[in-house]
Amino acid sequence: MRERIAIQDIAKKEEQLVKITLEDLIKLPPPYDKPGMEPNVTEPKPEWNQNYVTELDGYVAIDIPWKPKNKEEEEAMVQKFINGLKKLMDKEANWTFLQPLLLSLEYCARCQTCSDACHVYISSGRKEIYRPTYRAEILRRLIKKISSGGNFKTKFLGDVDLNAKTILRLAECAYRCNICRRCAQYCPLGLDNGLITREIRKLFAQEFGVAPQALHAQGTVKHLTTGSSTGLTPDGLKDMIEFFEEEIKEKTGKNIKIPVDEKGSDILLIHNAGEFLSWPENVEAFAIIFEEAGLDWTLSSEMVGYDAVNYGVWYDDVQLSRIALKHAEIARKLDVNRIVVGECGHAHKAITVVADRVLVGEYQIPRESCLPILWDIVRTKKLNLDPNKNDFPVTLHDPCNVVRLMGIVEPQRKILKEICPKFREMKPNGVYNYCCGGGSGFAIMTSMNFPEFRNKVSSRMKFKQILDAFQDNISPEVKKYVCAPCSNCKGAIRDILSHYNATANCGIHYGGLVELIVNAMVDIEQPYIEMF
Amino acid sequence: MLNFLIYIAVAIFVLVLLAKFVKYSTMPIHLRWEIYPVPHDPGHEHGGSYYEGVSWWAKPRLKTLAGELKEMLMEMLFIKRVFTYKRPLWWLTYPFHTGIYLILVWFVLLFISALIDIFAIGILKMPVYYLTLVVGSIAIILLLIFSLALFIRRVSDWELRSYSSFLDYFNLIFIFAVVLTGALAWQKDFDFTIAKDYMKALITFSSPPTVSLETQIHIALLSLLLIYLPFTKMTHFLTKWFTYHKILWEDEPVIGSEMEEKLKKYLTGFKVKWSAPHVDPNLNWAEEASRCDLAGKCEVKL
Repeated sequence: MRERIAIQDIAKKEEQLVKITLEDLIKLPPPYDKPGMEPNVTEPKPEWNQNYVTELDGYVAIDIPWKPKNKEEEEAMVQKFINGLKKLMDKEANWTFLQPLLLSLEYCARCQTCSDACHVYISSGRKEIYRPTYRAEILRRLIKKISSGGNFKTKFLGDVDLNAKTILRLAECAYRCNICRRCAQYCPLGLDNGLITREIRKLFAQEFGVAPQALHAQGTVKHLTTGSSTGLTPDGLKDMIEFFEEEIKEKTGKNIKIPVDEKGSDILLIHNAGEFLSWPENVEAFAIIFEEAGLDWTLSSEMVGYDAVNYGVWYDDVQLSRIALKHAEIARKLDVNRIVVGECGHAHKAITVVADRVLVGEYQIPRESCLPILWDIVRTKKLNLDPNKNDFPVTLHDPCNVVRLMGIVEPQRKILKEICPKFREMKPNGVYNYCCGGGSGFAIMTSMNFPEFRNKVSSRMKFKQILDAFQDNISPEVKKYVCAPCSNCKGAIRDILSHYNATANCGIHYGGLVELIVNAMVDIEQPYIEMF
Repeated sequence: MLNFLIYIAVAIFVLVLLAKFVKYSTMPIHLRWEIYPVPHDPGHEHGGSYYEGVSWWAKPRLKTLAGELKEMLMEMLFIKRVFTYKRPLWWLTYPFHTGIYLILVWFVLLFISALIDIFAIGILKMPVYYLTLVVGSIAIILLLIFSLALFIRRVSDWELRSYSSFLDYFNLIFIFAVVLTGALAWQKDFDFTIAKDYMKALITFSSPPTVSLETQIHIALLSLLLIYLPFTKMTHFLTKWFTYHKILWEDEPVIGSEMEEKLKKYLTGFKVKWSAPHVDPNLNWAEEASRCDLAGKCEVKL
């Protein structure tokens, strides 16, 4: 049922604002068009409500207990929030995004054109709280209210009550958007509700210290203090490198020495450290390709330098700057010519695009994506590749951060067209793609019931696209491959395939791009990709 | 008195718009936040950027003005995004905006007609006369119908209504009132001869012709709209320049640009001010970013 949730309800309603039901979600193509093909939605545990915000939609993204316990704490929370709003409008505290934020706040025509762009809103069955303009309109009204002193003007500009309920729900609501910014592509006025979402997250992170643990305490803080958000230490990395070299030998017969901390190399390659732990075959494939192609490259074993992630790009400008600067400093000390980012979408965008303007002077070291380099290797025939070794249906997921937000569209496609005879596109694709549903941190936010929101709602459109792309061969006997050249996208796709049991039901597997390249190498006898 | 109001209204309109332009122009350079396709990139047809090439910083950056102009014109002249993504609304908003464009053209034609009269350029008189008649008539009809239609849609469509404030309705009603009085004035001056004479008086700072009560009300309301408009979000015709050119299409890298000195000033001159436990509000951005761990230990200095 489509509830009619009004803007004011965020401050007033006592009960959960919306409830996700299977009946409301967008329909999936065969074989998921039949009842019983997917798990049902669950209810939040009643005791969660004591400490966590279940009043939005029953899901909990912010997994730290931060609800006020009494009236005084509520008042303090409201005052802190007002302080944060003022800092968002401040030239010094928010020089990083002041201009785009003000424009997006002041000029929205409320035409709702953006709503039809949003995969979360559409997939949910058009639940109002997921509409791109919902949280934006609340922030807009609160800022007008504060800047006008709450006087009569707010009546004309649109009002919303500012209380603890509003604040708590707004914070949760900021974690129901993947910040894929597809909505901004649709906006006739060029406004950006994705940016507003990030600014709301920023307010809570930078003023309250409130953010999902996976992003902050176990994310950027852990990254800066232990070396990686995965917890991987420099010593642990060195052990893993040895393991990778042995595994390469075992799988391919090749003796490859992975270069680490090689000063003066041309390239510092930085992977998402999640690859080391979850998808070592990706790291190994990079080593095989780079060595076979004769590139002069190295990994870093210095803290932070072996983990390309920068979760700050999703919620916190200070953490974004710290990590970007640390990456640049490591590259500077290694005296490399360039930093190359492995298959990690948000790391691409963070260090190459968003943090570009916090890196000045000697820290302005060139950074680029691995994808053009890989295409250059394939194009110039530096590897002996046989496309017939990839003779299975392959589709490509476009990571938003690499494609829509960085404009790297063709290199990965050209590679796939060269080495995968059964490559087919998802629709829509390229810069108009849909997010995997794991964007802006969702892929790594796994506590409480948040994964259910991701699998059921934010990743649902991607699952639909994957099924649609393979409808001609949907039977489980035909093994199929979703190529996702991004760690977090891979994580989200891994989880949807598991949630919907799609590997068993439809024979759908997933992995990166470099694995397909190595799988096509003529001199490697055994299949590199383990699908069969 | 009416003349004075018009001069004041035009002056306020121009000055406030200018102030807005200066306000947004002088804001700090923000972090990069573009969205592809960026139409000045030669690869914009597929949404590509200079990042698609190896060692992009070592190559000259190519830009295509034609790509940008085409995209701008498609948006300005046809409201392309609403056409593509929200067609039912486009059928209402496009004629409305066409009406605005035409009424602006009408004002220009009226201005030209007045100049033709002043300088007695006989050969142009009739063509401009008929053009003014056609353009003005179409503009009034379009604005009259579609300002009302947009108002009705905003009231009747729940997804628009529930997000609209009093001002959203007021803006449309205000425009409708201006156009309605304009249409009534038009009944008394069907071929816009009096309008032209009025324009002539404004240009030559002389006494205006006698006009009907409807026309007087119309001129007063139009002047008030001119005064009111720059303070509202209806100035999106100006701010769109910033949202597209300075944000969504702004892909200038620091390497090879002249922005570095400004950025250094922000980084070392601006205090962070935020108060969360992991932030020291008294540090500047460079100091804050150099604190590589929470204990404040760091080797990096800017």
